[in-house]
Amino acid sequence: MSITIDDVKKLAKLSRLEFSEEETAEFVKELTATLEQVDAINKVDVSNVDLLESTVDADTQLRKDEIKPSLTAEEIVANAPDSQDGAFLVPITVAEE
Amino acid sequence: MSEYNTVIGLEVHSELNTKTKCFCGCKNEFGSNPNTHTCPVCTAMPGALPVLNRDAVERAILMGLAVGCRINNYSVFERKNYFYPDLSKAYQISQLEYPLCVGGGIEIEVDGKKKFIRLNRIHLEEDAGKLIHSNAGTLVDYNRGGVPLIEIVSEPDMSSAEEAVAYLQKLRSTLLYVGVSDCKMQEGSIRFDVNISVNKDGEPLGTRTELKNLNSFRAVLKAIKYEANRQIEELEAGRAIVQETRRWDDEKGRTYSMRSKEDSQDYRYFPDPDLIPLDVKPEYIDTIRARLPKLAPQRIEEYKSWGLTEQDAKLLTDEREYADFFEAVLKEFNEPKFVCNWITAEVFKKLNAIEDEEKKIPVNPSELASMLKLYKDGEINQAGARKIFDILWEKGGNPVQLVEELGLKQMNDTGALKEILQKIVADNPKAVKELQEGNEKTMAFFVGQAMRATQGKANPKMVADIVKELIK
Amino acid sequence: MSYLDYSLTEVLALLNQGKVTSEQLVNECFERIEETKDLNALNSTYYDEAIKRAREIDSARKQGDKLGILAGVPIVLKDNINYVGTKTTCASKFLENFVSPYTATCAQKLHDAGAVVIGKANMDEFAMGSSNENSAFGAVKNPVDPTRVPGGSSGGSACTVAAKQCFASLGTDTGGSIREPSSFCGVVGIKPTYGRVSRYGVVAFASSLDQVGAITRTVEDNALMLNVLAGRDEMDMTSADIEVPDYTANLNKGVKGLKIGVAKQFYSDELCDDVKNSLNKVLEWYKSEGAELVEIDLPSLDTALAVYYILSSAEAASNLARFDGVKYGRRAEEYSDVVDLYFKSRTQGFGKEVKRRIMLGNYVLSSGYYDAFYRKAKRVQKVIRNEFVSAFEKCDVLISPTTATPAFKLGEKSNDHVAMYLSDIFTVPVNIAGVPSLSVPCGTSSEGLPIGMQIIGKHFDEATLYQVANAYELAHKEGQ
Repeated sequence: MSITIDDVKKLAKLSRLEFSEEETAEFVKELTATLEQVDAINKVDVSNVDLLESTVDADTQLRKDEIKPSLTAEEIVANAPDSQDGAFLVPITVAEE
Repeated sequence: MSEYNTVIGLEVHSELNTKTKCFCGCKNEFGSNPNTHTCPVCTAMPGALPVLNRDAVERAILMGLAVGCRINNYSVFERKNYFYPDLSKAYQISQLEYPLCVGGGIEIEVDGKKKFIRLNRIHLEEDAGKLIHSNAGTLVDYNRGGVPLIEIVSEPDMSSAEEAVAYLQKLRSTLLYVGVSDCKMQEGSIRFDVNISVNKDGEPLGTRTELKNLNSFRAVLKAIKYEANRQIEELEAGRAIVQETRRWDDEKGRTYSMRSKEDSQDYRYFPDPDLIPLDVKPEYIDTIRARLPKLAPQRIEEYKSWGLTEQDAKLLTDEREYADFFEAVLKEFNEPKFVCNWITAEVFKKLNAIEDEEKKIPVNPSELASMLKLYKDGEINQAGARKIFDILWEKGGNPVQLVEELGLKQMNDTGALKEILQKIVADNPKAVKELQEGNEKTMAFFVGQAMRATQGKANPKMVADIVKELIK
Repeated sequence: MSYLDYSLTEVLALLNQGKVTSEQLVNECFERIEETKDLNALNSTYYDEAIKRAREIDSARKQGDKLGILAGVPIVLKDNINYVGTKTTCASKFLENFVSPYTATCAQKLHDAGAVVIGKANMDEFAMGSSNENSAFGAVKNPVDPTRVPGGSSGGSACTVAAKQCFASLGTDTGGSIREPSSFCGVVGIKPTYGRVSRYGVVAFASSLDQVGAITRTVEDNALMLNVLAGRDEMDMTSADIEVPDYTANLNKGVKGLKIGVAKQFYSDELCDDVKNSLNKVLEWYKSEGAELVEIDLPSLDTALAVYYILSSAEAASNLARFDGVKYGRRAEEYSDVVDLYFKSRTQGFGKEVKRRIMLGNYVLSSGYYDAFYRKAKRVQKVIRNEFVSAFEKCDVLISPTTATPAFKLGEKSNDHVAMYLSDIFTVPVNIAGVPSLSVPCGTSSEGLPIGMQIIGKHFDEATLYQVANAYELAHKEGQ
């Protein structure tokens, strides 16, 4: 499995991270090495393994629908880089979704 | 261009009316000040964890049972990863591989033709927050973030805008019957995504486009018609349809391309490790099923057993609100046929005059029961009943008092009526003659005259009887 | 002798006997912190608050009020644990100024038991690392030899306990992040069974592997800490609704008749001689005490690291997506629009190792690769877990070295992330299997560096780990 510069660029975009050309090239090498390393999983026979995991009982183990106190809007935006009237403030966002 | 088929599938997002959000104990309430119903969980503070609301699961299952879904005993929540300011965690907790409900469907009727629309699935997920655009920028409010939603996904079984709307109306009506969602379109608590493609008979399905976040039936109707035509025109012009998401511009009455699917996001779904898969035991499903409220088909049968016609029973059960209202009136005045007649005539007439797609009956059922009782007992006549009904509709009131205040008590005094009618008969020899010759319509003239003389209080049936007697 | 030389259990007795006050202890801790500040173990301290709380507890004790079982003892939290009103930085530039609006369940439990939180410990950024060199606030030094790393990611937590700046600390362990530093610094650290301690309020690295645990100077102290920390939390769906025993109940019981499993896969060629010799002596000693050594096979053990890197990176990529510059933490100074704000804030806020894991995580989750990596790794995880479960049908505990070598030099591996990843080779399988494991000092190297063994147990059987470790510790107290 080898990684290309385009792969790294695509991943960087998915990750919302920016890299210089140099860093991108470095990532190509690093990711390729890491993928060789994680290829070890293919040594294990998993043909008889089902993936169903442990579960919680929907009837008895879920949260009751009871209101708990919220924080105040002031507490919620206390760490915000920018806020206005209790709301977080970001640059104008055009509908994407 | 009629040789084209339109193929429509719908995704309906409906907020569940739980007391708290899906994954935290914050209040599920519309319209409060920004971030007043938020906590570390729904604002994605570092370290916060989701805890699933049992009632949200139950409501999703209830809806699934109401539309004949199979309920999965093993159900998994997954993360749908994408960045957007209204999504605090940068992933939405949703379901992909193991949704709560699969299959099922609902029957619709368009132009007298019945059709079964299959459902693919119903899954539980969380709503995103709200973005408010201001001069300073975009304000982010997470009050709605984490509110439980069900996404009801149909198969592409609809072939016209009318069928799509009939499906949505039926679905909305069912949601209201089951009582799991308020379905307030204006508040965005129910929203529609439309998948649409066109093809010719015998040809494979065409490339589809998606119209997102429509929030009225009218918009769905117009958007589908527009988009089907647009696709046909594109094909006729020899151009290919681009698979993409399009936005419906209600003012301009057209759809716009939002982004092409090739550039679409890779959502990197994977099971949310913070939420253990659900074990939904058959016994639990049974207890939920036992709580399923009576739906329209059961009520129709019941109403017919009370002597209503099938047509009336259907009209009354079209929306749960009507049926509930009807039954509430009956609780205090058990005359099914009489009450039904008033509702299907007078109440529906007023409802039809409302422009809004979400129509509420503003009348208190016990007040209506009290008025109808006066009417049935002959205490008031139809004109009086309508007068009082207008008031009950506008602001409510006590019908017994209103009869007094407005002096609407029907004149049932035979002697007094006879005295008045004797004068009318004497003054109108021509009309008397016509009536004697068998022109029954002339009776209306006498009733009208009697009403005029009594300020509308005369008992019309008694008037007719007396007139007949007088002209013998 | 300073009060700081006592263990947590000992100092609790002194507090209860009125021989020392909490205020004195807090003051001594802060003096020690000042003397040893070059170790860079702590990211923040709260002297005024700690003294105030210590005085309150002292006066409550004087009045004979009923106090929690840790009343008056200074402790330190790892800097990824929320404690309302304090900074929680995860040693990241991104959260440099983040002040917790709420308290993690584990911190609340310590608080309710009367512990005095005096500060937060340095760590690898977002708990990603094995040497504590990935901190935005500088590397932590090993108190035994300051030219060496303390291990990571809970390097600060291990260092602060080893340097006697406090009596116990909390760490988090996703692939060895409590045990490796405990081993390097010569202290006792537990990675409890997954689900034993609530994760609510602990900044997630890999949600399905993370566990909170205590680092202490003795086994008994550690058992006492777990008594406070363990239990179901309704704020964490992954916390187990399983009864919490008294973890101190099995202390001083010896190991006669216990079956100790030895898996050859843990004694590979990577072991340095000092570690190998120490472990051999350990196993001999247990045998001499009446324990039975049982040979165990864990054939898939060597794939655990691969599983770990896939699963932990995938979860981390998603968990760290919330750090977007909208709600808290770093926001870049300049950006053209909201998308650019994400790119710039994250690029500026995260360090190299964090970016590396996010990139790998997004790779294994991305369309077309999910089945080959993430789903496959989940299946292999199950195989490994089953191997451990079968092993524990034949033995009560497994004993292995915690790490293949003692603490390495600062800078020695920092440019070779593959070599760095190998530091976790013995600790990672435990997280993959979800079982509990305790790292306990078991001798020193020829250079005088601590060596640790890890005792691995059945799911939710921490009590036996403490029993086995305590027997060894009691017998070897003087020798160290």
